[in-house]
Amino acid sequence: MDDYPRGSLDHNIPFLLTLGVSPPNSSSAHNPELSKSIKDQAIQVQSDLPTLDLPPAQALLHYIQERDASNLPCIAYEHQLRYRFRVKSAERSFLLPPRRARLPEGIEAPPGAVLHSPFSPLTPISPLYPDGLIDAQWTLKHQELIPSVVLCFYNLVSDPTQTTLGDNQIKSDVNKLRNLLIQAGYKIKLAIVLLSDPVGDHTEYLQDRIENIRRGCALDPKSVFLMPPNETHEDLARMAENMLITLYGAAMEYYKELGRHSRKKRGRGVAPPPTVPPTTGTSQTLSLAGWNVRYDFKSAVLAEYRLEMENALRSYEQAYENLLSSEVVELIPSWSPRWNEARLLADVIAIRSIRCLLWGAQNSAAVRRWQFHRERMADLVERLGRGTSNYGWEAWEARWAIVMANLMEKAGIPEFDPAEMRLYLIPEKNILGERLQPWEFLHHTGYWYRLASRHLYARRARARAMPEDDRRPPGSSPASHIASRGFTYDTFMCPEPHEEFPLEHMSYQGVDHNGMIIDCLSRALREFKQRDQIRLAAELSLELARELNLRQEWAKVVELLRPIWQNMAFRKERWPTLAEEVSWNLRTAASKVGELADVVTIDWELLDRGFTKRKNWQYDIAKSLQSTTPETKPLINIADGQIISPISATFVFRDEEGKAGQTTRAQLCLCSNAHAESAPIPFSRIEVRFNGSINTLVLKHKAEEDNRRQKHGTIVLCPVSLEDVTPNDREPTTEDSTEDDRGTELQGTTDLTLPPGQTLVFVLDIPLREQGEVTALSVIASLETESFDLHQSLKLRDMPNMTHIWYPTPSTRKRITRPVSPLSLRILPRPPKMEIKSEIKEQYYTNEAITLDFDIYNAEDVEAPSKFDALLFCDEDEASLTAPSFTVEVVSEDSNEDNKKSSTSSSSGRESKVSSYFLGDIQPSNTTTVRLSFPPIERPSRYELTLRVVYHLPTNPGTTIIQTAVYQLNVFNPFEANYELLPRVHPDPWPSFFDAEGIQPLSLPSQEDNDEAVVSYKGLTQSWSLLTRYASFASEDLKVVDLDVKVLRQSQPGQQSHGPQPMTCLITRRDPLPDQGKLVKPHTIETTSFDIVAQKLSLDDRGPAPLDLAMVIRWKRIPTSSPEQDGEEEEVINTTTLPCPRFSLFGIEPRVLAQVSYLSEGPDSLTPLILLRVIIENASNHFLTFGVSMDTSDEFAFSGPKLSAVSVLPVSRREVEYRILPTGLAPNGSEEKGEGIKVEVDGGDGNREKKKDGGERGYWIKPGLTVRDKYFQKVLRVIPASEGVKLDAKEGGFLVWVPTGASDEDGGEDGDV
Amino acid sequence: MATLIPSIACLGVIGRNNNPLHIQIFPSYDPATNTYIPARTSLQFHLLLSSTLDVFDLRARRNAAAGVGLSGDFGLLHAVDDRLAAYGFETNTGTKFVAVVDMRGRRVDGGRAPGAGGIGVGGVGTGGGAGGGQVAAAAASSVGLREGEMKVVFKAMQTAYIKLLQNPFFDPDEHSPLTGSGGKKITSKKFAADMRRIGENWGPGMTVL
Repeated sequence: MDDYPRGSLDHNIPFLLTLGVSPPNSSSAHNPELSKSIKDQAIQVQSDLPTLDLPPAQALLHYIQERDASNLPCIAYEHQLRYRFRVKSAERSFLLPPRRARLPEGIEAPPGAVLHSPFSPLTPISPLYPDGLIDAQWTLKHQELIPSVVLCFYNLVSDPTQTTLGDNQIKSDVNKLRNLLIQAGYKIKLAIVLLSDPVGDHTEYLQDRIENIRRGCALDPKSVFLMPPNETHEDLARMAENMLITLYGAAMEYYKELGRHSRKKRGRGVAPPPTVPPTTGTSQTLSLAGWNVRYDFKSAVLAEYRLEMENALRSYEQAYENLLSSEVVELIPSWSPRWNEARLLADVIAIRSIRCLLWGAQNSAAVRRWQFHRERMADLVERLGRGTSNYGWEAWEARWAIVMANLMEKAGIPEFDPAEMRLYLIPEKNILGERLQPWEFLHHTGYWYRLASRHLYARRARARAMPEDDRRPPGSSPASHIASRGFTYDTFMCPEPHEEFPLEHMSYQGVDHNGMIIDCLSRALREFKQRDQIRLAAELSLELARELNLRQEWAKVVELLRPIWQNMAFRKERWPTLAEEVSWNLRTAASKVGELADVVTIDWELLDRGFTKRKNWQYDIAKSLQSTTPETKPLINIADGQIISPISATFVFRDEEGKAGQTTRAQLCLCSNAHAESAPIPFSRIEVRFNGSINTLVLKHKAEEDNRRQKHGTIVLCPVSLEDVTPNDREPTTEDSTEDDRGTELQGTTDLTLPPGQTLVFVLDIPLREQGEVTALSVIASLETESFDLHQSLKLRDMPNMTHIWYPTPSTRKRITRPVSPLSLRILPRPPKMEIKSEIKEQYYTNEAITLDFDIYNAEDVEAPSKFDALLFCDEDEASLTAPSFTVEVVSEDSNEDNKKSSTSSSSGRESKVSSYFLGDIQPSNTTTVRLSFPPIERPSRYELTLRVVYHLPTNPGTTIIQTAVYQLNVFNPFEANYELLPRVHPDPWPSFFDAEGIQPLSLPSQEDNDEAVVSYKGLTQSWSLLTRYASFASEDLKVVDLDVKVLRQSQPGQQSHGPQPMTCLITRRDPLPDQGKLVKPHTIETTSFDIVAQKLSLDDRGPAPLDLAMVIRWKRIPTSSPEQDGEEEEVINTTTLPCPRFSLFGIEPRVLAQVSYLSEGPDSLTPLILLRVIIENASNHFLTFGVSMDTSDEFAFSGPKLSAVSVLPVSRREVEYRILPTGLAPNGSEEKGEGIKVEVDGGDGNREKKKDGGERGYWIKPGLTVRDKYFQKVLRVIPASEGVKLDAKEGGFLVWVPTGASDEDGGEDGDV
Repeated sequence: MATLIPSIACLGVIGRNNNPLHIQIFPSYDPATNTYIPARTSLQFHLLLSSTLDVFDLRARRNAAAGVGLSGDFGLLHAVDDRLAAYGFETNTGTKFVAVVDMRGRRVDGGRAPGAGGIGVGGVGTGGGAGGGQVAAAAASSVGLREGEMKVVFKAMQTAYIKLLQNPFFDPDEHSPLTGSGGKKITSKKFAADMRRIGENWGPGMTVL
């Protein structure tokens, strides 16, 4: 906008001139420039009174000047101000341009000639004369020369003697000034401000004086202001505000009057004749249409003074249309200077129109107006001018875009504050629904500057395209040529071709296109950056960098591009074309400036295949700095993700777990993504870092032929052997000395040259030292050349969905899928080499002391101080089971060293354990035997025995090693038994109820441990037979040494514990065991019977008595067959006690016992005579009568009472005897009699079966004997009480065995009873 | 008189990670040579598409602050200059569609616009305030765009993209990895053909593509 003449574009603000106080600074001094011709004729308006320099006057002036509105934003938002003034100050005098310019000398005024304003095209001295339209001089005249208000400062003298004089002086001065203004022909408003003296004064008197002065000067009351003395700042401000508001009204009136005048002249409808008819040129004068343009423009500008923007806009548009109509501009020949003036005027009007639209926030309309003017101009230039295909047009286009940006800046549109982050504004409501060009959304100034830069590019291109002939200076080319190029190149507001782009050898500089572009781009860049448009800013920076490159300002380029290059979104978001553009540009500049690190980094990044391959470019990173010789070797550290690396690295452990002391296999893949045909990358060193117990792994380069390498396609498998290198081992090179804090490293050497596109797979056997988790963290690939050192750090990542590849061979690949990351390895502790051996048996038995020997064998290479833990845990759920405590001891081989102490376990609940039993140092390849001794366990149960040997090696004392062994300890009952208690008839008579004292006690010791005074038992006695059947549940043969039944001590709660037992028992085993014991095979049933004779303590006690028995089996294991152990193996006899269920003896209820005996008749008699005794016992206190009847039967004949009544006294028994002779009608053959007691095991299938167990032959008969209680009419059950009698389970009653003798043996029948 | 109407100069599909998935450039009318050539170079179009990401970011931030409009039609992103303008759309998965419109991209002779029947020449209104009338008269020669007129383009692009997603061999995560950077480009020929069809056929006023 600065290209336009001064004043032509300014927003017009009412002009206030102060007079009488010297301005505090020169900028506000009224010092208008007047052309010489005007200055000569200018009217000087001068005040005669001296200048006021008093502080109040200065303060007031300062306040007024501060309110200057020249630089306020041109937008309606600021319209709330109640006044706007452009304030200038003159001391005592100022010049006014003449209202009517005199004719210059030498020109004769024709008669009747009317003199006009020196700015009018009618006046010969005006540059517009004779046919110019209007120029900036006119706007400047109103803005700078002719004030609307002149404010004079006067001092009101307070000295009473001088007041009249002073007042009169003021009066005369004001009158003189007014006369001068009137003389000059301007209707400038004159106002005075009176500053009263600080010395106090009476207000009434002062008012009189002021009134007096006002009248004397013929001023209206609104033009005289009093500034009282000693005013505070607030009062001064209030007074000044009031004054300025009043003056603003007057100023508005002034400009309104001018506007009216202008409209009046337009309304006349005739073109005024010039003072002197033109004699030069075409002697053409301004047409009426031209005058209308002039008047409309004036009206518009004056409306702008009054802030009547709508009116102004209307007048401007009117002027614009008229100007561009066929009557004005189209009549101006394009070679004429007036053509360019008209274009300039059109621009000015358009700019002012746009400003009016922006003022009213009609932003889209403003853009449209902008576009419209451009199209009109293009059209005009195309039709009448020199076309749009030249640099001049592009220059104008660029300027036009910048103008818009400037206008927006002046307007200060609040929505475009950078903090608002708006890129464009929404159009006005009234055009919102229309078809809008996107550009009509008013975009922020960055876009406009960018647009301008594009036109500047075009301008430069056009200028460069000019032929050399056109670029010669006018003096050195033929005149015809100059004439012709005048029609080719548009030089509106831009230089001639020879200045636009001079020939190379010219001494003068041409137009600095480059600088203009840089300026535009920089401005745009700032705007875009402010609004976070980083990518667009990067784009502009690129353009800017290209321009700076042209200027060879490399340092600036580096400064500009490096921050962008360092963290550009293009790289992260993978726009390789854009990223490489930045990179190449930066590389060029960086190499010039000597930023070698940047050069190498860029070369390194651009090596990646993702970027476009540049033709004829040598892709060899090692020679990156070949062209330059660096003074110091740059060291470049590239972090992971900082740039796109042309290499990538992956690391995979083959296994999920490893063990300390062993090695694990891992693969490090180094994959090149470099451009094909680029030079191989000669890495010098590759480092893998772990977190955890694996030391840093370093691979060093060594060029060698390695026949262990396998290659297939792009995959090269390189096995690398590693060795530990401690800091001491490392070569003390200077390079290493600085970083010797690295500690122990794993080092390997191999060829690290990485050809493009290949993948080097390093196969590593990594020794594992300590347990723990290890994760591979990062890889640092180092490239050390003569000119630089580059360290690329690569983070090893494990993302979900990432596939990890293991290369078993170069041609095969295996995908590793694992729940944990293949980058990490769990190192298990060193596996124990201590062995625990034992020959534990499958079964152990209750009541057997168990001794277990464990051999602990040290398979480590060195001796191992060991400790021993044992834990016995009861597996059963039963809460009552507890783990027994046990003892641990070392079985030492030399018997004399028996000072080894044993340790007893602490038992708590279901656990029993021994902790840290010290075993001593176990020598390598030696065995220590640990013996665990368990006491006899009473109940069958299962245990888990956990043994741990905890030891450490003297070579690595910190690491404890644990060997664990778990054994199952099963304790079974070796025997199970069941019991049957059969009643028998006690042979002794019952004691007499009447002679209780005479009863003889049983001659046996009453109870086992009843060692108190011998108690004589005088109660009833009963005889029973206990039949036990026991079976071995052991898994092996056992030898039963002894069998016994013992009475468990009865300790019922109801009885006194110390008194004699109410009942005594005598138990005798019937069948003796062999001396050596009896071999019991597993799962065979053995039978043994015992006789029990029980006697009550007292005859009075006849109630039922419980009997608790337990079977005691004493047994031993059969010694193993090995003869040499026979002697050593002591014969441990174990005792298993099997408790029997409780039996009940005695009872008050009467009982009927049946006993048979066989009367031997002779050896030839096959049918024995059977004596059946029926014994009725009455233990009650009642006299009872029983009916005994015997039915006749075919099976036998009998003698005895067939039917009788038996009376039984209390506590007595009676016997009824029958003799039975079987009739011998045996249904079937006789049975064989076997050994053992004659008890039916099979349950008796019927009385007709002739089978008894064993081998005895015979059969059963069923006597129909009934015993009935006469009183209760109840049949009593007959209880078998001897062998040969049994209950008939099916039909009731009882059966009697009839032996038929041994048919196949000569033994005949025997009576066992 | 020949009229220049808007046409699509470039279609871009940008992934969730702001990575380019697909870019297709269409020729525009060049009045100087009376031929159809791309309005800008490929690099410039790349830059242009990338610059729209600024606007997406800006809008996303503003939407997040206002708590509205998580995705969908972004309308005009910005006008690059008086000729090219970028319009945008974002799917709810973060994929962005950008259509760069050349406002003078296609030449229509005598107002007979093939395939663009709905061009309202009178669509440009009276402008704002005084003097707008003349502006409108001149501006009528170039056709503007109504709000939402690009929706049909984005709808068609989204349809094509959905078709692409329905292909079981197309793995969206490969193209916009969850790691948050980079991704592969779309190589589907069918998708490219769809894009070409959309870009070549669209004209102002079209309701179906």
